[in-house]
Amino acid sequence: MKRRAPYSSLYRHAIGEAFRTLAMLLLLTGVAAAQETVFAQGEPMDPREAFELTVTAPPEGGRLLRWKIAEGYYLYRDYLSAKTADGASLPLETDQGVAKEDPTFGTVEVYYDSAEARMPAAAGPVQVTYQGCQEDGICYPPVTEELPALSQASSWSATNAPAGEPPVGGDASAPPAEPGEADAETVKAGTFTLADDAGMLGGLRDRGGATRVLLGFFGFGLLLAFTPCVLPMFPILAGLLAGQGEGMGARRGFALSAVYVVAMASALSLLGIVAAWSGQNLQIVLQSPWAVGAVAVIFVALALSMFGLYDLRLPEAWNASLSGAGSGRRGTFGGAAVLGFTSALIMGPCVTAPLAGALLYIAQTGDVALGAGALFALGLGQGVPLLAMGAFGARVLPRAGAWMDRVKLVFGFAFLAMAAWLAGRIVPPAAGLALWAALLVLAGVFAGGLDRLDAASGAGARMRKAAGLVALLSAALLGLGAASGGDDPLRPLAGLRVPAGGSAEAGQTELVFTTVTTVPELEAVLGGSDAPTMIYFTADWCVTCRVIERRVWSDRGVQEALSGMTVIAADLSDFDAGSQNLLDQLNSVGPPTMIFLDARGREAAGTRLVGEPGPEDVIASVRAVR
Amino acid sequence: MTRLNRRHLLLGGLATAGSAAGLLLFSRNGATAQDLTREDVLFDPDNPELGNPEGDVTLVEFFDYQCPYCKANHPILTDVVAADGNIRLVMKDWPIFGAPSVRAAQLALGAASLDAYETANATLMATEGRLDDALIDEALEDAGLDVADLQAAYQNDRNKWDGLIARNGRQASILGLRGTPAFIVGTALYPGAMDGEALREAIEMARS
Repeated sequence: MKRRAPYSSLYRHAIGEAFRTLAMLLLLTGVAAAQETVFAQGEPMDPREAFELTVTAPPEGGRLLRWKIAEGYYLYRDYLSAKTADGASLPLETDQGVAKEDPTFGTVEVYYDSAEARMPAAAGPVQVTYQGCQEDGICYPPVTEELPALSQASSWSATNAPAGEPPVGGDASAPPAEPGEADAETVKAGTFTLADDAGMLGGLRDRGGATRVLLGFFGFGLLLAFTPCVLPMFPILAGLLAGQGEGMGARRGFALSAVYVVAMASALSLLGIVAAWSGQNLQIVLQSPWAVGAVAVIFVALALSMFGLYDLRLPEAWNASLSGAGSGRRGTFGGAAVLGFTSALIMGPCVTAPLAGALLYIAQTGDVALGAGALFALGLGQGVPLLAMGAFGARVLPRAGAWMDRVKLVFGFAFLAMAAWLAGRIVPPAAGLALWAALLVLAGVFAGGLDRLDAASGAGARMRKAAGLVALLSAALLGLGAASGGDDPLRPLAGLRVPAGGSAEAGQTELVFTTVTTVPELEAVLGGSDAPTMIYFTADWCVTCRVIERRVWSDRGVQEALSGMTVIAADLSDFDAGSQNLLDQLNSVGPPTMIFLDARGREAAGTRLVGEPGPEDVIASVRAVR
Repeated sequence: MTRLNRRHLLLGGLATAGSAAGLLLFSRNGATAQDLTREDVLFDPDNPELGNPEGDVTLVEFFDYQCPYCKANHPILTDVVAADGNIRLVMKDWPIFGAPSVRAAQLALGAASLDAYETANATLMATEGRLDDALIDEALEDAGLDVADLQAAYQNDRNKWDGLIARNGRQASILGLRGTPAFIVGTALYPGAMDGEALREAIEMARS
């Protein structure tokens, strides 16, 4: 089905008038005799005629934009763009243009004769903008066309299939991820073809060079600063600062935070270097029981030093060596650096879209310097709120005395909670639950849950006792849960509940993921299905994945959109060579990543979701492959 | 070249015929056009002047600091204007290549308040390649201009300069200009790039 984009009739009218006036004058002066054709040759054409846009709806979804470009005219690749009615930009998949060397315009990529762009499916009308020039003549302002909403039917009805479509089941020997070939390939069941989307880093570099890349990634970092990836770092840094005790001014707080943040950013850029060197995402490789366990021990040590300085009365020798890790006077900066470094690598191993973009960019181009620099900038951006906290938070901390001791105690527990959380990744689930129970008992006792109140006790003491009792009660519940085989700290007694066969639960459609851990398993699942597929990379240690499970998979709209599709969870919790192979084959750098394949196993361009998408993003991607 | 010459001859003849009536003749379409006079286009009081402000012929170019043909032919244009000595040159900013073009225009107009428009304009027209903020700043600094001063000067007269840029765009649309560059020599309209010969012919036509 072809659609002509509507012309802006006003514009045409204005131009038509102007030239009619010219023509009349020519007649008046008599110079024009038999020369009317001169205009047609030399006068620049209306841009909508010079670049004739047709829009088709290919069977694989989305829209295919085609420009027929008049001779002597060209279209810029970089200035092709599309956005939805509410202003969200839509990725366009375009082919390589012709490099046009222009002494005053540098090298630009342009299209002669014709140009094509593939656009992912989008709800509602979309706006397409393009810009080009008449060779050695004029350059047009950007032209924006409004394309009407694409009805679902037109995008997947069989009658819309282009005549030249090759039959399914032909040559499928081509390996996945060959750039630009996805459309022409035929794919047999059980294999998959990945879309070749231009990475965000490459795009930024093409548009504005290295400066733009670094600034852009710094900005991405800022945007990510309050996501679950960075949140664990706030209590860690706060604890570090609280451990400083009295007399710490804003300057020292800022300096310590700066060391922490630079170490965190360095760790991120190290990820880039290691990825270039080994092809692996270090964050994921470091999710080994050994590394996670070691960091858990560090946090226990930190917590003990928080307690020990005043309450646990550890031997002096212990104290000195432990505080070296971050809470004493000496070696504090070193401690901050170690904490920043490990925080980034092990505490919040988050694969976000910018991180994935930079790692893939390095993998594809080998440009380690720019990739690592971008990751460093990303880390600095993520660290801005931490710096602010360091500079201003230090002033808020109490100077000394009983208050300070309590603050330290609180952070001591925060560190213990970190340790328990980390340990939960490597011990059996029930043991993890038992750890939380133990921690809560400790907290309850320290808060004064077992202290005796008397008639003279003030409100503060009573509140503390109440809080302590709540902690002890929770500990009892968790302990009971652990003993009965529960594994979720938020629902400790789930193991005790009798499975409900009743109607209340039946209404809740839960997504049923088929879990795979290796490429052969994935191919087996794909081969046994002729429905569109979603592959969801996840892992127990992936913090963001938990958020996705709560916010996205439980969303009714997402569940409806995914019904009838094959939904696969690629589980990377026990990371091994098979997991790495799975990541490599699907061109992913880690969880969470969602990949959408159509019924023929082809990834639709612009649909891949990395990081923490909202339900509407998932629904949009699903639409593109259905 | 014959084709081009014929076209210019044609437009030149047209210019002679149309000079009395002015630009209104080119733009008799719709209500907005009625407001547009020859004075508005050629003698916008806010637009900086180059060349000889007292010149007998006014040459207007609608341009963009990133438009390849505007920049490629700019040295030719300035040479022709200088050699003639009696041409008032009006460079009308019509930024069509996005944010960097707008910023370049703003800084150059800011320079006008500091009597440095000619330097800023020439510097930016002499830049190579696509522009971004860093390149623009670098080029201007290299030319001895202080970008912060230019920015402040633009901000000071923000309404005036933004109004001028908006007016230029409106005029381009009413005149039916399709893009940059577009020239008005005297009262004749020449869309597209012009080489030296074409410029001299157009000037000659405007004088005759």
